[in-house]
Amino acid sequence: MSAQTLDLTGVTCPLNWVKAKLALEDLTPGDELTLLLDAGEPIESVPRSAREDGHDVTVRGTTVTIVKRV
Amino acid sequence: MTLTDADLERYSRQLVLPEWSGAAQARLKSASAVVVGAGALGSPVLSYLAGAGVGRLGVVDDGEVELSNLPRQPLHFTPDVEVNKAVSATSKLQLMNPTIMIETFPARIEEFNAEAILAGADVVVDCSDTFATRYVVNDACCALGTPLVEGGVLGFDGLVMAIKPGESACYRCAFPTEPPEGSVPSCREAGVLGPVAGVVGAMQALEALKLLTGAVEPALDRIVQIDARNLEQTLVKTSRRPDCTACARVPAATQSG
Repeated sequence: MSAQTLDLTGVTCPLNWVKAKLALEDLTPGDELTLLLDAGEPIESVPRSAREDGHDVTVRGTTVTIVKRV
Repeated sequence: MTLTDADLERYSRQLVLPEWSGAAQARLKSASAVVVGAGALGSPVLSYLAGAGVGRLGVVDDGEVELSNLPRQPLHFTPDVEVNKAVSATSKLQLMNPTIMIETFPARIEEFNAEAILAGADVVVDCSDTFATRYVVNDACCALGTPLVEGGVLGFDGLVMAIKPGESACYRCAFPTEPPEGSVPSCREAGVLGPVAGVVGAMQALEALKLLTGAVEPALDRIVQIDARNLEQTLVKTSRRPDCTACARVPAATQSG
């Protein structure tokens, strides 16, 4: 199990989710990916996209932790 | 093949699709497609394949742009009249996506050159305008084991068929005998309305992207018939013919897609 952090502050939608999604592709189920996002649209959309793709998502402020599930 | 930051931005709207992935996009980037014909079907097919990021595109057409082509061939503009269509298409596609490689073949596909031009392609999209070329392309793709997307349009009727030689019905399985020359009117005689070709070409491009990426299953063993009068679409089931002169002896193992 690995844990990675991706700083996506300053990256707009949907490019932030594209970058997170590609990082998740390289992980194995159970691995953790932490994202640093901007407030506003990014923190509203990225967690939703990650959940729609079937991952476990925890949001603390503008930090999002994704546990890869699929 | 690795995706650059510019790739991620350019292709972001398809990358966000749950069905798509970085791996699918990378497969597209290292893939090669040859499009036979740069006219009414070829224009949308080439535009969408270049736009989607197919790494190497082959454009084959021996014809010149005519004034009467312009209403339905959006890759060609008025100053291109009398320019070879493959050359005219290439210059637009290069502007549309400078990150891909385009090979220009100002030639007509015939039996003697078909396999040479189509060899190395991961998918072939047939946008030709004669039955003779269509059968030549189908037979060459079967011999090479190369996936193929057939398409045709006449008046308000259209047809699309995705083919994996050795695995699904080929064009000759579905239509074993070539119609005698002159028995089916050409679009010069029967007429054609631009958007009808656009619909068929867009569907051909879609099936080609599915075959190249594996992201979504293509509609194999189906002839898609489109009636543009009432926007009706019919899926006609078809299957391999054990005695097909084109694909009966193609082993599925030669598949590249």
